[in-house]
Amino acid sequence: MALLEINALSVRFGGVVAVAELSLVIAGGEIHGIIGPNGAGKSSVINAVTGMVAPQSGSIRFAEKEIAGLAPHVISSFGLGRTFQHVELFGDRSVFDNVLTGFYRHQSYGLLAAALRLQKTVQSERETHERVRMLLDAFGLTPFVDTPAGLLPFGIQKRVDIARALAAEPRLLLLDEPVSGMSEAEAEMAVTTMRKLAREHGITLVVVEHNMRVLMNLAERVSVLNQGRLLASGTPAEMQANTAVIEAYLGDAA
Amino acid sequence: MTLRIILQLALSGLSIGSIYALVGLALVLPFKASGIVNFAQGEIVTLGAYLALILSGLGLPYLAVVPLVLLGAAAFGMVTERLLIRPIVNQPEFTLVIVTFAIGFIIKAAIRLHWQDNTFSIDAPFVGPPLALGALRLNPAYLVFIFCTLVVVAALIVFFGYTKFGKAMRATALDPIAAKLMGIRIGSVFSAAWALSSMLGAFVGLLLGPVIGINPEIGHLILKGLVAAVIGGFSSLGGAVAGGLMLGLLETYAGAFFGATFKNLVPFGVLILLLLLRPQGLVGGTSARRV
Amino acid sequence: MRIRVLLTLIGLALLAALPLVATSYYLYLAELAMINIITAVGLNLLSGNCGQISLCNASFMGIGAYCTALCTTRLGLPTLIGLPASVIISALLGAALGYPARRLSGLYLALTTLGFLELVGIVIEEFPDYTGGIRGLKVPRPEIFGFSFQSNVALYFLVFTLTAAAVVVGYNVQRSRYGRAFDAVRQSPFAAQALGIPVARVKVIAFSLNAAFAGFAGGLLAGVVGFIDPPEFGILVSIQHITFIVVGGLGSIAGSIAGALVLTALPEALRGVQEYGELIYGFILLGTLLFLPRGLVGLVAKVETLRSPKPPAKEPAYGAP
Repeated sequence: MALLEINALSVRFGGVVAVAELSLVIAGGEIHGIIGPNGAGKSSVINAVTGMVAPQSGSIRFAEKEIAGLAPHVISSFGLGRTFQHVELFGDRSVFDNVLTGFYRHQSYGLLAAALRLQKTVQSERETHERVRMLLDAFGLTPFVDTPAGLLPFGIQKRVDIARALAAEPRLLLLDEPVSGMSEAEAEMAVTTMRKLAREHGITLVVVEHNMRVLMNLAERVSVLNQGRLLASGTPAEMQANTAVIEAYLGDAA
Repeated sequence: MTLRIILQLALSGLSIGSIYALVGLALVLPFKASGIVNFAQGEIVTLGAYLALILSGLGLPYLAVVPLVLLGAAAFGMVTERLLIRPIVNQPEFTLVIVTFAIGFIIKAAIRLHWQDNTFSIDAPFVGPPLALGALRLNPAYLVFIFCTLVVVAALIVFFGYTKFGKAMRATALDPIAAKLMGIRIGSVFSAAWALSSMLGAFVGLLLGPVIGINPEIGHLILKGLVAAVIGGFSSLGGAVAGGLMLGLLETYAGAFFGATFKNLVPFGVLILLLLLRPQGLVGGTSARRV
Repeated sequence: MRIRVLLTLIGLALLAALPLVATSYYLYLAELAMINIITAVGLNLLSGNCGQISLCNASFMGIGAYCTALCTTRLGLPTLIGLPASVIISALLGAALGYPARRLSGLYLALTTLGFLELVGIVIEEFPDYTGGIRGLKVPRPEIFGFSFQSNVALYFLVFTLTAAAVVVGYNVQRSRYGRAFDAVRQSPFAAQALGIPVARVKVIAFSLNAAFAGFAGGLLAGVVGFIDPPEFGILVSIQHITFIVVGGLGSIAGSIAGALVLTALPEALRGVQEYGELIYGFILLGTLLFLPRGLVGLVAKVETLRSPKPPAKEPAYGAP
């Protein structure tokens, strides 16, 4: 069952063509990698899918719904989440608050209820706080619970970013270079976590990465982008054997 | 509605517009250099006028006062930038806004401490009876405003277009890190931008003082300068000049045809409309990001 | 207990006990300070938490003041209608400003709010038949169910109660999902969007909320001072409000209270020095901005961390296998 279908997607910035007629299908429950050299259009694809940028043409269907050109928060409310290459945490708030903010969409009390601290607000806050604690625990973030997110080492910030994205309970999570800037050990742990997310929580993962080795271990299928176009798609092994891919990309392998 | 009246109004409009243009320029310069809007700019205009008052009081003729005031203002600008602005450049926006307001507040308070709210006058060679040109009556001060603005604009064009330091300033405005890597002393560029903008502000004070009288409220002019700068998208010096002139003309004609109320409403109406509909100004590019 | 909470409670207790010792002049001053607390709390939510700079806070106070004034004088309506009307009308106008301004930020937003402020000022002055123009408007003391707050002490407790209520509401909003949404919008609109937070709508809510607080404060101000005129709601007052929250501490309720109290008391304390007062105020302001970047609350926070330093956290292993 195709969860995310990208069809003939084109994204342009001024005169520059970032993505050209890209078509890609991501099945529900799979771990799908997207790789490509710098300038291949990977970020533009993520930005178009998440609504940060409006595509010039083409269609993006998520769970049978057309989402191309919709506002980002609307798209995310359909169950599409993302993490950021440069993390984008709420730096001066604690790790707890960062992940707590991730639950925004799942809390339903209104402004008046908040202002008057009605019972349903207290209830919702108590429940959500508990869920945050569990999430933090699952990611080993409990020791950092009160630390301002901006003060943490980069690797831990990336974990917070993932935990926060998960709080929104996405069906599909787009991870933008999740292991860049991490040490070997951290990257391995991140991979284990991501695999766990997919297996145990049934979240479809789309991992955009430079690092071919990471994707080899993690992804079930990989799509290779080059200069805004889809070069090839298949299992990691197939991609590593594909001459066009090798030519275009693996020359400067990570 | 005769041609004569239209032309008179045009002259009026252009001359007050020149003043707005100069203030607008003074606002855009430090913004391009360090990304800061100097809300003390109005008080710098006032400061220029009062410095002229002091020097005049010492017996110096107007033409001798001018360069001295400009030098004093330049020094003021450099010192302010170095001591007060540079340390806090990385603070959140409000802090920066309030700091420049506070500086302006201190200037005005100091002035009022000594001179209270009285209005003073000084002599200047361009204050005199209207000149006759055919059927037109031209206030010589108006002509001087326009002429001086043209000279200033020409000087700035030469400076930014053809001198080494001017080009260094443009480079720094575009990309401070690249400029630094190329060996440009960006600290000097920032100081120079503030010195230049203070000089422009003080120059306005020198021009206006003899004509409208010297009192602490001169600084209210900054609002018009802001509108002029916004019309130019706050990024273009030429735009600020065009903006100031346009504003001057709009205001003058609106006042003549629709009365004083409209005259007051024009600048803010224009400001709001522009900001909401075309924030990049009437002169400027487009941006793509949507949030 | 955190120091700042302790200080806030002490402050509130002192305020509550003030009528026992103070003359009516100081009660009046304290009332002004409390009204400033209300306006500072509202502004801090918009600017400190949500990061939206606003130079027109004073004009929303003006809208609230004139609304209450007109209700109680020309329309003969009781305070119980006048004051809520102020809040509602201000909130609506706040949303009306926030909506078109939602895509602006920084300088342009500041200028838009400045333009709004000037427009409101012009409207007040150009329609004297309704607003009293530059001559101003006299306003009677508040009256609830026939009880007129002519007594200074009674008025004081009314203001105190309403201020406390406003502070509690502000605090509740700040620690709710709305407060978190405000902070998210300020720090990373992209991440906020990705989490399903409707950034534009949140900004409008923040503007509306700010206007509501300011309108409430303005309506109270009208009744407390007994007279309102345009200069009370001009740019200098808006700047004053911003100084409350910058000096007190951006994004902090305690900061709003501290900043409002200190900076309302300061001009009074400087009154003895007469002409130098303004100048000293300016220097104190500048000094605080240059040397206390996180405001008074930042100072308290430093003291708080000195009391209980946290041990450095070690890199833990992941959770369950």
